[in-house]
Amino acid sequence: MDLPRYFLADLADPSALTPELIRDACLTLKANRRRYLRERTTTDLIDAIAAVAEDWLDPANPYRRLALEQGPALLGFSAPTLAAGLDDFFGSLTRENLRALVAQDLADLQRLDQLTPNPHEGRADRLALAQGPELLAHITAGRLPNPALMGLVLGLLTRSAQFMKCASGTSLLPRLFAHSLREVEAKLAACLEIAEWPGGTEPLENALWAQADCVLAMGSNETLAALRRRVPPEVRFLGYGHRLSFGYIAREVLSNHLLPALVAAAARDVAAWNQLGCLSPHAFYVEAGGRNPPERFAEALAGALEQLEVTHPRGPLPVAEAAAIAARRAFYAVRAAHSPDTQMWCSAGSTAWTVVFENFPRLHPTCANRFIHVKAVAGLDEALAGVDAFRGQVSTVALAATGTREQTLALELARWGVPRICPLGRMQCPPPAWRHDGRPALGDLVRWTDWELPARW
Amino acid sequence: MDTDLLDLLVPRLRAFIQDDAPARDISEHDPSFNALALELFAAQYAAVPAYRALADHLGATPPTVSHWREIPAVPTAAFKEFAFTSLPPARRRRVFQSSGTTTGNPGRVFHDAASLELYAASVLAWFQPHLLPARGRPGAPALRFVLLTPPVEQAPHSSLAEMAERVAEAFGAGAAVSAGRVDSAGTWRVDFESLLGALHAAAAEGQPVCLLGTAFSLVHLLDRLAETRLRLRLPPGSRVMETGGYKGRSRELSRAELHAALTEWLGVPASHLVGEYGMCELASQAYDRVVGQTAPRQYRFPPWARALVVSPETGREVAEGEAGLLRVVDLANARAVLAVQTEDLAVRRGAGFELLGRVAGAEARGCSLLAAA
Repeated sequence: MDLPRYFLADLADPSALTPELIRDACLTLKANRRRYLRERTTTDLIDAIAAVAEDWLDPANPYRRLALEQGPALLGFSAPTLAAGLDDFFGSLTRENLRALVAQDLADLQRLDQLTPNPHEGRADRLALAQGPELLAHITAGRLPNPALMGLVLGLLTRSAQFMKCASGTSLLPRLFAHSLREVEAKLAACLEIAEWPGGTEPLENALWAQADCVLAMGSNETLAALRRRVPPEVRFLGYGHRLSFGYIAREVLSNHLLPALVAAAARDVAAWNQLGCLSPHAFYVEAGGRNPPERFAEALAGALEQLEVTHPRGPLPVAEAAAIAARRAFYAVRAAHSPDTQMWCSAGSTAWTVVFENFPRLHPTCANRFIHVKAVAGLDEALAGVDAFRGQVSTVALAATGTREQTLALELARWGVPRICPLGRMQCPPPAWRHDGRPALGDLVRWTDWELPARW
Repeated sequence: MDTDLLDLLVPRLRAFIQDDAPARDISEHDPSFNALALELFAAQYAAVPAYRALADHLGATPPTVSHWREIPAVPTAAFKEFAFTSLPPARRRRVFQSSGTTTGNPGRVFHDAASLELYAASVLAWFQPHLLPARGRPGAPALRFVLLTPPVEQAPHSSLAEMAERVAEAFGAGAAVSAGRVDSAGTWRVDFESLLGALHAAAAEGQPVCLLGTAFSLVHLLDRLAETRLRLRLPPGSRVMETGGYKGRSRELSRAELHAALTEWLGVPASHLVGEYGMCELASQAYDRVVGQTAPRQYRFPPWARALVVSPETGREVAEGEAGLLRVVDLANARAVLAVQTEDLAVRRGAGFELLGRVAGAEARGCSLLAAA
């Protein structure tokens, strides 16, 4: 199947992009928004988004098939790994979940449709309307598509015209999503543009800032700081920096009975999107003193990764990324040769997966691509001391515990500053209502109009 | 003081380097390299506890290893954490340290007097045919050596400073000029006054110069020349040896840009610009050109050190033209370990290699960096 040339990212020659082309595209998007999008209701838009998501879950869907055909070469994920990631993402975009998102962030499903009170406002004779940006510009980073796709969903909910600038080589999935939306409702897709150019191409980006009233950007702290300096002050800037995540396994759950399910779930977290995302674990902290010691958890995790490699292979890596794994393995082999405090399990004859067990709690971010640390700790304090250098940069902690300890540990993690705690095996599958890095993602996009009703006399 | 097996081996290694090797067949069928490498491995296995631990752990020990390609290699990162040396503390006369590490601890390589002389022998024996190929022939120019490295007394832990002084002493005409300085923060600087004085004097006298420095020191020099609009024309026969990366210590130029700028601002043609690849963990160096030649650049180690480009996936040597991690088996590494696994990516080219650069993300850093790739 050949895609029609509809979006800028469909053009074979990106050097055809000019500032004038960007400006004209933005003006068209805004005009289309006025005609097709502004007056739509939230219920109506949720229906459209959920319909697109359902389509993507269908194995026969041509866009999904294109993604699985072209994705491995373009993005580096094997087809089964990509399919699993897409299933998790689109499976979460249900009507119910999307309604929950709007209700959570805006208090009522109709808040984007009309002046409506929340319960408190109602008692105080007040109403409010939430409105999104007229033109929302996205700057995406990375090969993992979820943040970009979720960004488009949020922009649709806020009735924004959207221009998404993808990092080089990564526009495939946003592009296919936009085409699939066009099939469901062409008018909605007419309010969307997808383009790809090397980040920092100032003439094109300046043309974009000149038309946008909000920029939603993902990237490294340096990239975000550079963008923030260049975006005009009157344009709202929402930046999401890189984060890292880890898991915590309490001793009570390390029974012989639970261990296989635990390591299978942990392996899914490592394998999901090849560990490339901010929500992917860099280490699992495992409490000593349980029925199975942390070393045993590490060894079993290695077995689970070996099994996943059969069903959901990581896929080939560019030599530089494989070399990063080989270099780290060589180093940990020297440590392992000197002390049982370090042990390593590796895929044979390839860099497909690596588990490094260590008795040191200090976190070393891994080189991803299914390279995971398992660290033995006496308790949560020791683990948090180990990640202290990354305080404020943590996204997700997968917690495996039971009973009252689960509550206690979750509260301690929350107080320490962890913005998201989830079950093992679900790290890369946050629900749409997830507060991204601790902020309401939809709530942060809107501006409010408050209406104080006159006294009734 | 107790002697060990290596005390007996060092003179033989030195003889291999100085007497036989430069004329030796570099092909892998040379049986003497393999025999000496296996003998050195057995001696180091016996005398270097950290190496023995690694070899045992990997199951690659002297009785099981029958070819130099199978000798277990120590990653450069491990020199930061473990003492890979056969020298007990009382016998350690010098220590060379790696530079530009981001983790704080430098890698350390220890020498005694004999291993330092072996190091020097290796340096001189491979520097000469690349930087001074006409040496000893009639009409060969007398070269003034100008070093951008600091004097050894200021940088006793730099193997590069040691190398620069050794080659200048062995091959220079007159006293060498050391224009490098180490400031109070330990940063390498260039003393432009003495450097430019030496280059002007050489130009005035018509005496060709052999200029040695790191890429970042050369960029500092180029920046100074550009600021002052001073375009030098070094006398014909002048040559430059550049080495090492930038490690954030100057603006970064590609090698092609660096070479073009050296030609533009110093008047040294590309045929006289030689790239050197070395590190404190290796007693031998590779060069990418013989002065005066214009064949495509390709790094080559001497016959007493063999480079392997290994696949990061399989650990086996890659095919011709493929990329992988550079591993070096160096017979001049007498007192440390002969097989060193670098973190440099290279492409296998014939008997040599092309350097692609340091592996990003080999050391622990930041966070989901690859996600931003």
